[in-house]
Amino acid sequence: MSQIETFYEVMRRQGITRRSFMKYCSLTAAALGLGPSFVPKIAHAMETKPRTPVIWIHGLECTCCSESFIRSAHPLAKDVVLSMISLDYDDTLMAAAGHAAEAALQDTIEKYKGNYILAVEGNPPLNEDGMYCIIGGKPFVEQLRHAAEHAKAIISWGACASYGCVQAAAPNPTRATPVHKVILDKPIIKVPGCPPIAEVMTGVITYMLTFDRMPTLDRQGRPAMFYSQRIHDKCYRRPHFDAGQFVETWDDEGARKGFCLYKMGCKGPTTYNACSTVRWNEGVSFPIQSGHGCIGCSEDGFWDQGSFYDRLTNIKQFGVEANADQVGMAAAGVVGGAVAVHAAVSALKRAQKKTQDKVEG
Amino acid sequence: MTEGRLVLGPFNRVEGDLEVHLDVADGVVAAARVNAPLYRGFERMLEGKDPRDALTITPRICGICSISQSAAAARALGAAMGLTPPPAGEAVMQLIHAVENVADHMTHFNLFFMPDFTRPIYADRFWHGQALDRFTAMQGSAQRAAVAARAELLHILGLLAGKWPHTLALQPGGVTKAPGARDKVRLSTHLRAFRRYLEEVLFGAPVEDFAALASTDGLKDWSRGDAGLFLRIALDTDLENLGRGAGRYLSFGAYPLAGGHAFRAGVWDNGPQTLETSAIAEDLSHAWMLGATAHPLRGMTLPDEDMRDSAYSWCKAPRLDGRPMETGALARQVIDGHPLAVDLAIRGGGVLARVTARLLEIARTQILMEDIVRDLDPAARFMEAGSLPDQGVGAGLVEAARGALGHWLRIEQGRIASYQIIAPTTWNFSPRDSLGIPGPLEAALAGTPLRPGEETPVAVQHVVRSFDPCMVCTVH
Repeated sequence: MSQIETFYEVMRRQGITRRSFMKYCSLTAAALGLGPSFVPKIAHAMETKPRTPVIWIHGLECTCCSESFIRSAHPLAKDVVLSMISLDYDDTLMAAAGHAAEAALQDTIEKYKGNYILAVEGNPPLNEDGMYCIIGGKPFVEQLRHAAEHAKAIISWGACASYGCVQAAAPNPTRATPVHKVILDKPIIKVPGCPPIAEVMTGVITYMLTFDRMPTLDRQGRPAMFYSQRIHDKCYRRPHFDAGQFVETWDDEGARKGFCLYKMGCKGPTTYNACSTVRWNEGVSFPIQSGHGCIGCSEDGFWDQGSFYDRLTNIKQFGVEANADQVGMAAAGVVGGAVAVHAAVSALKRAQKKTQDKVEG
Repeated sequence: MTEGRLVLGPFNRVEGDLEVHLDVADGVVAAARVNAPLYRGFERMLEGKDPRDALTITPRICGICSISQSAAAARALGAAMGLTPPPAGEAVMQLIHAVENVADHMTHFNLFFMPDFTRPIYADRFWHGQALDRFTAMQGSAQRAAVAARAELLHILGLLAGKWPHTLALQPGGVTKAPGARDKVRLSTHLRAFRRYLEEVLFGAPVEDFAALASTDGLKDWSRGDAGLFLRIALDTDLENLGRGAGRYLSFGAYPLAGGHAFRAGVWDNGPQTLETSAIAEDLSHAWMLGATAHPLRGMTLPDEDMRDSAYSWCKAPRLDGRPMETGALARQVIDGHPLAVDLAIRGGGVLARVTARLLEIARTQILMEDIVRDLDPAARFMEAGSLPDQGVGAGLVEAARGALGHWLRIEQGRIASYQIIAPTTWNFSPRDSLGIPGPLEAALAGTPLRPGEETPVAVQHVVRSFDPCMVCTVH
């Protein structure tokens, strides 16, 4: 392990000053809800621990998670985290291309076997043997399995990796499948949201890099520090809900006065996320503040719950484990038949793809 | 490599996945085939859903240009509902869209395009040291400055759109947020800060000066800012003659405001023409899709699960009157009649032209955004109410950063009966059609020189990236 630098060394090499470093440590403590006494502990951990490498891969997705991540509130936090992971692999931001990029991924896996965190953005489509998402001539699901095999832990970024998100919407044409249904033998932390809030992403990854362990998870596998409260609990429009003051139509008097959006279909009362406290785009605002109800994008199945503008009474409550499972089971049942029919054809097609015959790991 | 076949992919620093197959002869690309290897089936998921769900689902096609998707969906729904936003609502919608487009151009220039010039293959060039300092992936000083400036610019989206990516604020009748007087002050503050970045870092001069450039020769004299560094590199590496276009451009018109589109709609085929959207059809001869060539209102998305041998991409081939069309910032500026863009197009419309058009558009859009904010009246109406019809059709045609984006919607019995999307990169990276005519990128790649022994030819990278591909939008 001695050949791996510490976080502190990496940061200094990236031109981050000691002062900035200490500031970062106190910010981190604050962001994670830890008291000031944790600042020196974080600093000590980062000065002495070897850096945990991160591999960041992309499946079926829209890159909104990366987009969110690169504009995290505190430029310093982002710089630091980016500098920590820059040495490894990220196929959207890295410099290498083509086979060099594939080689870089392989090198990183080999070099840090059993010691890296795998961050997954997007999910694998399983229909047609994964042919709907081909990376380097191979289905993404193979890249995912390969990279996961030697990972210490996996972060499922966003609703895609955590739950499937809109590409898994009925009829789920590609059988987009969340990571935890494909990788069964690794600790997985879900950071849902479409996308997740940047500060939540940096917070989670910083915690894992700093303390070398998973944060406390709720029973859905989400970090409790960011997903233990409903949007509704801390919504600045909550007093209007309690007072029975609601927006009835777009841009009406109530809308101008910032009344509660419950009647416009707001899912804040059943959505666990930090939007109403951490907010978006560097703490500027969040959907409810811009006059639109919450759609519950950090909850399982939010994409297939009827109209986003129906009032909550009309829909099944999601965010409940039993219901989430039912949704998952139903989807699997529908696509099962389709897979069997096309399996033979796909196998032939696979044989034609030369690049795919490369042996894995 | 001087003879044979080459498969390039995966490409990094592009949104999504991309594979390019090249036939090489005599050290140049003889023919290219572009494959979009990612398919999700958005159009099929939308069928049978509440039409308003399109406002939430289509933006999630792409995390980089989600507002363009959102704007197109809102417009298509509005057309079906017979609803147009009030002028102030329209202006805020266009401001939101403009911010995203500018942010995309910034990302392209700093994070996706320029880092290729830091490759060791250019180590002997006089500008290489400067390129390394400014544009080394994830570390360059220009990249850090750009990411910071971009994050501040996106505060405007935080303010007006609640969150970005994937806002919900754009509706068929207008926008959900009515900006107050205080918001107006904050908006101008953010725009002033962004102007400062542009004038100190990107252009090194007033944005008006760059927007006033009228010819390629004038452009080549521009020496200041990162734009100047790009031009020195472009002249030295002859980007003007690399990846030349076919002189055919399409724009649906950007930023419809009270006085018309800020950047006109139209067609350019070696000269200006009017746009007939009924002449658009998607050809499926080389796509793993089933069905006949059809206008998007009648077309469908049925993947060919056999992946037949005569096809090679999930991407359909949109054509206008049978012609492939290039779309993007260059197309918009040419069709809008900007003299610099027209001159660049007439001289070949290569890599230099495409990248310059984006810089030009950043400068022109900054001025436009400032105008919109200055004219904002907080007392105006920002949203009209409307109701969904039981039956109806609508088209939402907008300009994303990467070019012409269209949503075509048909409602039956109050549900989505069909939803078809043609994204900018679907035009630019389209495969061949039934006549064997290659798509714009495929055509632009022909003739690209390869250096001996190159496995990821750097010139091919420049040409591909000059289109700023967004592969997740391409096939969706």
